[in-house]
Amino acid sequence: MTVITVVAIAAITYGSRAIALVLLPRPSARVDAVLARIPAPIFASLAAAMLLTGEGGFVAGPTLWAALGALVASPARSLLLCLIGGAAGYALGTLFG
Amino acid sequence: MLGVPLALASSVLIYSGATQFAMVAMLAAGAGVVPLLLTAAVLNLRHLVLGAVLRPRLDASPSRRALLAFFLVDETFGFAVATGERAPARDVAAVTERTVLVAGIMLYAAWLIGTLVGVVGGGLAAVERVAGAVFPVLFIGLAALAARGRSHAGRALVAAALTVALGLALPDLRLLAPIVASVAVALPGRAG
Repeated sequence: MTVITVVAIAAITYGSRAIALVLLPRPSARVDAVLARIPAPIFASLAAAMLLTGEGGFVAGPTLWAALGALVASPARSLLLCLIGGAAGYALGTLFG
Repeated sequence: MLGVPLALASSVLIYSGATQFAMVAMLAAGAGVVPLLLTAAVLNLRHLVLGAVLRPRLDASPSRRALLAFFLVDETFGFAVATGERAPARDVAAVTERTVLVAGIMLYAAWLIGTLVGVVGGGLAAVERVAGAVFPVLFIGLAALAARGRSHAGRALVAAALTVALGLALPDLRLLAPIVASVAVALPGRAG
């Protein structure tokens, strides 16, 4: 691992952020409507992906319990409550998992 | 593993928890440079989608959007979407830009301080275990913030289920599954 590798990864990361934000024109109404429906599904999908392992299984118990705790708190639509729910779930998973 | 200077440099330059954690895990497994770069590219594909979602909500000039792009992380995106949707229509662009910038700077500062503490604390196993649980919880919270009504919540649940199905069936492609699933569930529906 060298500084050049870090700089290359930084360039990939910044490039991925800048391409859509800087270069894209304003989308049409049809595309805008589709884009407006993406945020909640993409976050839910990212959460789900992080519960999976590279071997085609699920991660260890406390992490699943933490996700369940956050899911239970999610109808409140509060990030703080989801974090508290996740922490409570993680604690339960550590105790009983 | 990275050494203090490279660990700090990676947080200063990369500023991406998901990418940096993946990088450390891959280095621990003995991965080479090419797999590292490919994984970074795949993990960062989601930024294309996040940027495309935010683009219509910003009136800023290209140079200002280029600055904002550095601070486009999952959390600032979630906060920007949530605050923008609560703002009056005429203020959405200003509120979105301000949220990305202010939240981005605060999170960046916290990330750098956290890295410094981590480097000084050095390999705390308990912290490492908890870190694995933080991201799913954070993303569920951001999904909850971004969900407006039952339609969005329903699509989010379907996307999560689709991601799990794809990830279990094709484990090697699980990092791409969120992009495929979220775009697939967002497509059906009325234009506006």
